[in-house]
Amino acid sequence: MVPRRVVVTGLGIISPLGQTVAENWESLREGRSAIGPIHSVDCSTLRFQNGAEVRGFDPLAHFAGGKDAQIDRFAQFAVVAARHAMRDSGIVLTPALREQSAVISGSSVGGQLAIEEGYQDLYLKDRGRVHPLTIPRTMSNAGASHIAMDLGFSGPTYTVTTACSSANHAIGQAFRMVRNGEADLAVTGGSEANFAYGFLKAWEAMRVISTDTCRPFSKNRRGMILGEGGAILILESLEAAKARGAKIYAEISGFAMTSDAHHLTQPTVEGPSRAMRGALRDAGMTPEEVGYINAHGTGTPGNDPVETRAIRAVFGAHADKLAVSSTKSMHGHALGAAGALEAVATILALHHGVLPPTANYDQCDPECDLDYVPNQARSIQVGAALSNSFAFGGLNAVLAFRAVHS
Amino acid sequence: MADAVAARVIATLASVKRIPAEKIALETNLQELGIDSLDVFTLLFELENAFHISIPDDDVRSIRTVNDVVEGVRKLIPAASPGTSVGSATSAD
Repeated sequence: MVPRRVVVTGLGIISPLGQTVAENWESLREGRSAIGPIHSVDCSTLRFQNGAEVRGFDPLAHFAGGKDAQIDRFAQFAVVAARHAMRDSGIVLTPALREQSAVISGSSVGGQLAIEEGYQDLYLKDRGRVHPLTIPRTMSNAGASHIAMDLGFSGPTYTVTTACSSANHAIGQAFRMVRNGEADLAVTGGSEANFAYGFLKAWEAMRVISTDTCRPFSKNRRGMILGEGGAILILESLEAAKARGAKIYAEISGFAMTSDAHHLTQPTVEGPSRAMRGALRDAGMTPEEVGYINAHGTGTPGNDPVETRAIRAVFGAHADKLAVSSTKSMHGHALGAAGALEAVATILALHHGVLPPTANYDQCDPECDLDYVPNQARSIQVGAALSNSFAFGGLNAVLAFRAVHS
Repeated sequence: MADAVAARVIATLASVKRIPAEKIALETNLQELGIDSLDVFTLLFELENAFHISIPDDDVRSIRTVNDVVEGVRKLIPAASPGTSVGSATSAD
């Protein structure tokens, strides 16, 4: 069969920037960072105290009958974002469509809060028992499974876990399933909730977390800032969306993934370059079409110059004509959800004709010499955009989007 | 009137299902409260914590009403514990 064009017709997001698409967009457009002191964990014995938390998320407002206690926070984010995205899409589900729908979520650490609660009960409080739902709370596929149960999707449902690229890998797989006709509808994205003491200690030991804020591509950058949240995209074919007169946010045109096959934490230029080239090729997109890249842009000394060189390697002279920003400067690095939060930012940039900035940028770095849209959003309608995700373990996943004008 | 054990069981149930305790009577069937197998696990866990008891798997299978739970807990509480001497008004289901 002829590959179908795939469009995004619904968005849902719970992030440190807000719990609706509109709130998120307003913060991104204003360049407002959600980074601040971590409230949910006592950080007095940590070398860092700042993060980007989802504040004021009330599980009881979303889950009745004790369900909130069955579902870890990371899966709660996934379910609530999926409900919002489905409502936003306006899709009316039929029994046939439910069977023809894929649910593919990304998560790096799964139910970290449930794991640590259990360990505290066992090792710290000497209770000799853990919560009976520790297993289903912690499983990484809980997000996808709860979305399927909550919304009644009975097609292919699974979770991709590739550290910081998880959501991009998930969205890429979902995109291909719809493009190839393996699914008529896909509910995809990622979620993460990782503000747990033991996990923060593990990040502290990696020595990559900034002690103040996240300044991607800025010379005085000091590392990443952890975030959390969930974002879900509804994908369907362009034909189906047009037939029902749906609002179309953007088209997903291409996806590619590569492995550095090099080092656990040190990225290469080649791996990310090949992923970006692959996404362009998959999309049938020339480099000159791309006006914006939502960078992986972690704000670590290691990532940002390498990503800059990778972009230069792919785009050549056009690298100086496109805009690059890292929205991690505002919503933090949500690990397995990062690609989903950033896909929403990229899609909304194409939809609204406004490029979100790199916040906290205040010092040019000769090694990071692209146009990073410093601190202020830019009103410009670009035709196409990439969204980069590169993971520990050297796993790269890049999505290519095109603007759709109705 | 519910005794101390029954009151504690009902309060625990109410907390697990996030419903008001007034909606729960001793003769209430657990199914009527929308309690599924996962809720039962959570309920048993909370009861074990509340009463400092260990509930054997075999005791769980026959549970149908709130009173079954109360009587099951009562059997497992050490004799000296408070609340064990007070009988329940509705012992049959």
